[in-house]
Amino acid sequence: MAINPHFHHSNEQLNEELIIIEAAKLNPEQFAPLYTKYHKQIFNYVYQRMDSKDDAFDITAQVFLKALTNLEKYEFKGVPFASWLYRIAHNEVMQLFRTQKNKRAINADIGDLRFICEESETPYFEDYIPVIKQLILELKHDELQLVEMRFFEKRPFKEIAEILDITEVNAKVRMHRIIEKLKKSLSKLKI
Amino acid sequence: MNLKFNINRPKVGDDEIKKREDFDTLVKQFKEQSLKKAQGDESWWKDKKIRYTAVIAGVTVICTITYNSIINNQKQQTAKHETITTSQTHSTQNKNTAFVKAPSSALKTNYTAYKVNNAKGGSVTHTTSSKIKIPKNSFVDKNGKDIIGDVTIEYKEFHDMGDIIANGIPMAYDSAGTKYNLETAGMFDIRGYQNGEPVFIKPDKNIEVELASQTAEDRFNQYYLDTVKRNWQYIKIDDIHTLVSEKKSETKNAESPKLNEIKKQIDLVIPKKIDSVKVVYTTRTSQLQKPKEPAKPEKVTGKPTIGFEADNKDFPELQAFKNVIFEVGTENKNYSNEFHDITWSNVKMSEGTQKGKNYLLTLIYRNRVEKLIVYPVLSGADFDKAQKTYEEKLANYQSLLEKRNAEEKRLMAEMQAKQAAYMAELKKKEEEYKAERAKLLAQQQNEVANNFNTINNQTRATRIFQVSQFGIYNSDCPHKAPQGNSVNPIFVYEEKFLIPDFIYLIDHTQKSVYALDKNDGIKFAYNPANEYSICLFQKNNLYLCSKISFKQSADAESNKFKIVSLPDKADNLIDFKKALEI
Repeated sequence: MAINPHFHHSNEQLNEELIIIEAAKLNPEQFAPLYTKYHKQIFNYVYQRMDSKDDAFDITAQVFLKALTNLEKYEFKGVPFASWLYRIAHNEVMQLFRTQKNKRAINADIGDLRFICEESETPYFEDYIPVIKQLILELKHDELQLVEMRFFEKRPFKEIAEILDITEVNAKVRMHRIIEKLKKSLSKLKI
Repeated sequence: MNLKFNINRPKVGDDEIKKREDFDTLVKQFKEQSLKKAQGDESWWKDKKIRYTAVIAGVTVICTITYNSIINNQKQQTAKHETITTSQTHSTQNKNTAFVKAPSSALKTNYTAYKVNNAKGGSVTHTTSSKIKIPKNSFVDKNGKDIIGDVTIEYKEFHDMGDIIANGIPMAYDSAGTKYNLETAGMFDIRGYQNGEPVFIKPDKNIEVELASQTAEDRFNQYYLDTVKRNWQYIKIDDIHTLVSEKKSETKNAESPKLNEIKKQIDLVIPKKIDSVKVVYTTRTSQLQKPKEPAKPEKVTGKPTIGFEADNKDFPELQAFKNVIFEVGTENKNYSNEFHDITWSNVKMSEGTQKGKNYLLTLIYRNRVEKLIVYPVLSGADFDKAQKTYEEKLANYQSLLEKRNAEEKRLMAEMQAKQAAYMAELKKKEEEYKAERAKLLAQQQNEVANNFNTINNQTRATRIFQVSQFGIYNSDCPHKAPQGNSVNPIFVYEEKFLIPDFIYLIDHTQKSVYALDKNDGIKFAYNPANEYSICLFQKNNLYLCSKISFKQSADAESNKFKIVSLPDKADNLIDFKKALEI
């Protein structure tokens, strides 16, 4: 599993972020380093869940505006600022999908689908792609979010828990259930 | 779910994502949003019900805070204070809540306690030579009853930026909405207790404090720290009594005759000698006899002549010539032969345009007056004889003239030599004056220093305060906050970022300390022309951004300030001040 450097900060990096945040609370101009640091990450997060690139950029801008507006309420909890941004981004895209369902899309690579099979202890064949796609589409909304984060974005459970505001154990349990569900469905496939 | 499912969708390139970054628009939108929100808040405020409720709530809160502050102050003042006469006490309690908050308990200045009998009053001299004069029957208890017995006066002073930081004295001053920062010329904290209970100064009594100040400057005012209003209250213009100037003038008067004598030699005596030498020698030169140059005889040229008897007494130069005649010069345009036909009734001769060479002849007949320039000439043997005599006299004249010139030259040399000697004496006196003056100044300084050392090695003036209530008094000069470069500082300690508990910006040029409140943001402005350092505390640990480090960051227009930890300087005030370069 790849490690997202923006989720794994040293104490010095955390301190540096915190100082910038405190400065930005007084002067929004001071927010620039955080914007530059996380713009790409947040865009990728949003775009991962959408079809339209322009819409993704718009939502990204909205995420940062919301972050800056609510910066006063930000409380340092010993984790990178990114976790707070991802949560805002998550809420923003969910808000959008509630009103405009057609904006929602699933984006995956072939390798991601193979990864799902591996995790589900099921041999992978290209012929399975339509079936796997269908299985994913049939997942519940919250299950899909976990699959996206775990298999498509390769996020560790700690990050997933942070973004979804659940415990790490809860994230793992839920993911286990999804895998079991997929395993069960995939085992029915005939080679 | 009927969702679109993309497999292997092309990624958006980093360049494109980067291009779509637009921080300026983000800030602009944020500001617009904030403005709208503020306007929205204003309309909300216009709601009468809410407004009245808020006002009532506000008044209640203010009353509660004020009441609590008073109660807290009283409670703090009733804290236990076991003191012995002139002993050092260390207050472990913060008497003015968070408004006066020392950044490190180890650096706080101790109170000195003095016992005074209320019925007798008295005067005490603090270790700094400051005097506290207490009139008899000055103290009452909380019920307004006269105190019977001894009262313990607790007293401490703050004189420089190190004292201010170490004791957490707030130096910000709000005067009718204008923000200032105070530069101190001396400050003190005075309190009174009996058996641990606070006592109060009677309304008609004042304790007089003669604060020994380290500066004799007279640009300071007196202020009282109102810890309830959390601001300094202006009292009056400082009542300063300069010690240095008095001592200087005494010393100057005592030493001036000696110096004045040298000065007198330089300004009067020697210049007069130089002038008198000039006068003497000019006189002697003028008294040298000038040889008389003999008149040179001129031979007749054939011009018209006028014959008459000239008086040799009036013109002795003509005595050498016998049978002299006068030729009419060509410049006489009025001359005509007619002149020879007239019997002139009167003829006068006077000096002409060239002395000894020509003469002015005035011819008068009745009302007619004619003036002619005439030249004395000789003819024939008369000329030859006169020429011979002239040559003999000329030789004698030249000999005498040479002698005279030689004597004049000798006198001139003698005069110049004497003047040079006097000039050398003048120069010597000037050097003597300079050396003597330097010596005297050094003596004066030593004497002044010695005098002060006997009292206090820092005292330069006394500033007199009339204390009508206990608390912190200050002799201060307000300075407007710097309007120069503005930064949101980030403090870097060993390549890590440090979030301090207390931050003090020290303006060494203006001798001011700016306490930066984390709750108000730690943004500060500074004047690039001034010298600064920053003192920080985190959990009683001392950190410092030195003058050099500050300048490096300022020159680079960076908001990152490198700091160093000074663990061994944070446990005593002397080392702390040295570290601050105060």
